[in-house]
Amino acid sequence: MNHPKYNYRSESALQFYEFISEGPEGLIKKMVIYTETTTENVYNIGFGDYDESTNGISDLSVTNNGDSLKVLATVASTVYAFIERHPNAWILATGSTSVRTRLYRMGITNNLTEIEADFIDLGYTKNEEWEKFVVGEDYEAFLLTKKRK
Amino acid sequence: MTVEQTIEKLNKSKVPIIVIDKTLERFKGQNLFPKKLKRANEILAKTGLPKLTN
Repeated sequence: MNHPKYNYRSESALQFYEFISEGPEGLIKKMVIYTETTTENVYNIGFGDYDESTNGISDLSVTNNGDSLKVLATVASTVYAFIERHPNAWILATGSTSVRTRLYRMGITNNLTEIEADFIDLGYTKNEEWEKFVVGEDYEAFLLTKKRK
Repeated sequence: MTVEQTIEKLNKSKVPIIVIDKTLERFKGQNLFPKKLKRANEILAKTGLPKLTN
């Protein structure tokens, strides 16, 4: 992902990230969060717009700030930062909508060579199995972990 | 490492400059994506993790 990225803020565990999207709609605070699942060492990734009024995050909002590639590259780069801090972790991603799931799939597809140099990438099939990510296949969820040396 | 080497390393990095902000620790323990987390846990309970063959 050698695309432009936003700089971001995080805390010492590198589980919570915050950055500012800049575009025609103004400055929009975005957050990327890695949440522990009930399975040890597996984290669910979520991202969206931060809402100061509720102290919550909307992962359904469509910002139209003209920087979706930069936002996606920033979110992807947090995967590298998170894995540096948690090298044995698995990262599970599900889209909040089918559109966003397709967006994840496109992001992986467009950067597959680079991702597969560092990560094992899997998709969750309709048969409820994990399989190695295949371009063009439809998946409900994605799973990444750093290749063990 | 020289300044030039440091800059070269940073330019090649897949991660931009990260500013540590302790205020973000306020999100610890909060479930900010309940639907996604519920589905993730369902998938993991049903299928688990694949075996690593690398």
